[in-house]
Amino acid sequence: MTDAAYDAALMACARGDQTALRVLYDAESARLLGVALRIVRERAAAEDVLHDAFVNIWTKAASFDAARGSGRGWVYSVVRNQALSHVRGGTREVTVDEEAMEAIDAQASAQTAHDVAQVFELNASLGKLNDCLSKLDAAKRTSILYAYIDGCSHGEIAQRINAPLGTVKAWIRRGMASLQDCMA
Amino acid sequence: MANAEQQRIAGEYVLGTLSAASRAQVQARMQREPELAAAVRAWEARLQPLTQLAAAVTPSDQLWSRIARSVAQRTAASNAPRPQVQHSPLQRWWNNLSLWRGAAGLSFAASLLMGTLLLTRVQAPPAPQYMVVLVAAQDKAPGFVMQAASAQRVRLIPLGVAQIPADKALELWTHVDGAKPATSLGVIKPGQPFDLDFSKFPIKPDMPFAISLEPPTGSPTGQPTGPVLYSGKAVKI
Repeated sequence: MTDAAYDAALMACARGDQTALRVLYDAESARLLGVALRIVRERAAAEDVLHDAFVNIWTKAASFDAARGSGRGWVYSVVRNQALSHVRGGTREVTVDEEAMEAIDAQASAQTAHDVAQVFELNASLGKLNDCLSKLDAAKRTSILYAYIDGCSHGEIAQRINAPLGTVKAWIRRGMASLQDCMA
Repeated sequence: MANAEQQRIAGEYVLGTLSAASRAQVQARMQREPELAAAVRAWEARLQPLTQLAAAVTPSDQLWSRIARSVAQRTAASNAPRPQVQHSPLQRWWNNLSLWRGAAGLSFAASLLMGTLLLTRVQAPPAPQYMVVLVAAQDKAPGFVMQAASAQRVRLIPLGVAQIPADKALELWTHVDGAKPATSLGVIKPGQPFDLDFSKFPIKPDMPFAISLEPPTGSPTGQPTGPVLYSGKAVKI
């Protein structure tokens, strides 16, 4: 769907036109479910998230303001917020083993230049974001991508790349600051 | 222009690394800090292209009919042409008047609400002495009222049907005599009045109440584990 079609669909939803919601669903539900599934990681839960997200899109469509941002971005934010509130409110957070975390922290806190494997395939279609992410070192880039795409908490990222929690937090903080400067 | 703290928290919010409680906090702050809301929108726009990296997955055939059913229910429930009316016109009016700031506003609203409840016969209350208005953390819209018929008998009345995930429940909490650990008052059913027994700890002025999002059988720890969605304090009327 084009950006203009997105905006038009949301404005039609705001007027109470249920066909517009169906058009949006038919065109975008597979991509949106893909995004939700990466974050919540269970098929049934991801469909629940998409259900709730579409109900939210319908009920909140009138609050979408095309002057403040794209309809596409608005819809993706509704879906990601729904998915994140599912995983952050759920049990996944607790499954990160606190003792294991502390052990990693103690053992590896000296290491700064972390060797993090390239796990995400970036591509030119990401535009400027691709250029700016490519300028980050692998550890910062991977931490940011694990968080945004896979919905990982700081603790989960620390476990995945076997790095101290504090270090991961610092990577993300500095990586995000660099991204913001680069994209400005 | 957002300051450094707002930029950082907006970035982490959009990235998704914040805890449920911090997420709820950011959502509440966005209502009153336009710079933070703008910073969040800017981060959403910056990172949005990354959603392309998730492979598309076709939903099951039943999903659209589930959505259509829920949407039809919402639309029928609001029986108004615009789908946005999750809040009644009265509630929006209150929001517009910013009655929710400060205790004075709150007690005024409580007495107003009393009148409304009587008029609309949501319930015929036997001379309430206390009132609690529980407002949403996110937009300060009133979500529940608690009416005390006496200091011992209290009824929690929803002003609408709170939208929560199917695998979650709402749990009501208070702090008795300012004690640090919260006391659970039970898991509540969305959209239904709930009677509370206050015989062990009488309701008092300024007693705090909160509703958090929990697993279906309530918090496993005996303390709130999910985000606080609604909160309010007891007002003597």
